[in-house]
Amino acid sequence: MILPPLLPQGAELAHPPTRAKVYLSLLLAFVLTLLPWMEQIRWLVPDFTLMVLLYWNIRAPRIAALGAAFSLGLLTDVARGVLFGLNALAYCIATFIVLLLQRRLEGFDTPRQTLQISPILIGKEMLVLALGLMMGRGDADWRWLVAGVVAALLWSPLAWLLDRVTSQAPASQQPTL
Amino acid sequence: MSSAPRAPLFVREMGLPARFSLYVMVCLFLLALDARYSTLAGMRAGINALIHPGQMALAWPLDWMQGVARFFVSHGELAAENARLKRQQELLDAGMLDRVAIAAENSQLRALMALPPRPGFSMLPGEIIEASTDPFARKVIINRGAGQGIVAGWPVVDAHGLVGQVTRVYPWSAEVSLLSDRSQGVPVQNMRNGLRVIVSGQGSDNFLEVRFLDMHADLQPGDLLYTSGIDGVYPAGVPVARVVKTEPPQHTPFARALCQPLGGVGRYRHMAVLVPAPQTAVPEKPQDPAQKKKVK
Repeated sequence: MILPPLLPQGAELAHPPTRAKVYLSLLLAFVLTLLPWMEQIRWLVPDFTLMVLLYWNIRAPRIAALGAAFSLGLLTDVARGVLFGLNALAYCIATFIVLLLQRRLEGFDTPRQTLQISPILIGKEMLVLALGLMMGRGDADWRWLVAGVVAALLWSPLAWLLDRVTSQAPASQQPTL
Repeated sequence: MSSAPRAPLFVREMGLPARFSLYVMVCLFLLALDARYSTLAGMRAGINALIHPGQMALAWPLDWMQGVARFFVSHGELAAENARLKRQQELLDAGMLDRVAIAAENSQLRALMALPPRPGFSMLPGEIIEASTDPFARKVIINRGAGQGIVAGWPVVDAHGLVGQVTRVYPWSAEVSLLSDRSQGVPVQNMRNGLRVIVSGQGSDNFLEVRFLDMHADLQPGDLLYTSGIDGVYPAGVPVARVVKTEPPQHTPFARALCQPLGGVGRYRHMAVLVPAPQTAVPEKPQDPAQKKKVK
């Protein structure tokens, strides 16, 4: 007798995360950061690209990993006009941490995930500021850390939205081992 | 389901830590390369050429909405603005006549003293399309780039004075470092007594500073600072800043002066790039052989 798998397998998901979906959502997130945001609220705008990237690294870790993080980071560097490799480094580090914790993060429901993810999102903004300070670029504008907090606050709406895209049952409703 | 990749049974690739350290090393290499050398400018311009059309397409609906909003302006407002602009134009015309006469006199005097003619400049108007999102820099992106012949290093002005300098050129856009950027310095001259100092940005749009001022330098609040033109980048005589206050030395051997920028640094959407006119050494050519003959 063949036992049914305890966790829903790829084929059982109505809309499993495919390459097309992942890359399209990453592109949309990147476009969102490219929007002509008003200068007064520019420092509040979270890094949507990183959020979507981390989401997919939790849900589908084999599609967009370090290579995607690196290329998206370079694109962000150019779009933001900062030093080459700054955001690429930050994205790679964030992705690496998430991939290390992937098994744990996958099982959490969204609020707990937010608690685990927020240090990474805020830490990324800190890293970008710290690297700028290290390179002697003058006083940091610490307001930009708020972008990380906003990103952490927006994590659950984003997770909800992308869960709908893959028709994934919320993690709490999944059968647990 | 074939499109959804699964974990392979037998792993035939580098482990995660190894890949990660490889990427980190590449990033650090790129960072060092970009911070110290300008070898990556071409790559940056290439990637920007990919991103820029998308950015323009995103900004287009917003611009269009602003255009629609502008369409519903009352007739009275337009008439008032028209009258004001006409008055301003008359004043400018009068000032221009004066300026032309003075410029002609100046070039005659320079020719008389056998000085090379001042480099001429023409203006290329541009519009800010984006404020840079670098927390350490005060930069904007304008909608003129290499396609319009812009070259990094050219000064940028608005109606009231110097605004900044073109620092990076992309195919259809260019990055302008504003005067208030910390890495930006402009050699200026005090209009009252000709004292030469360097005005630098300090990251805020309201104030510029003269960092290393001689303790006894004659710089007073209210003094106007104009570009001196000795750096060969900025043309001479562009208004830059007004001195607000000077601070005596504290813990350092140097005094410091705070200035207010005269140009609308970070305020207006329109600015103009000063395009240096090709050096027309017409008045010099007949002089050179004459001078040589005199020497002989």
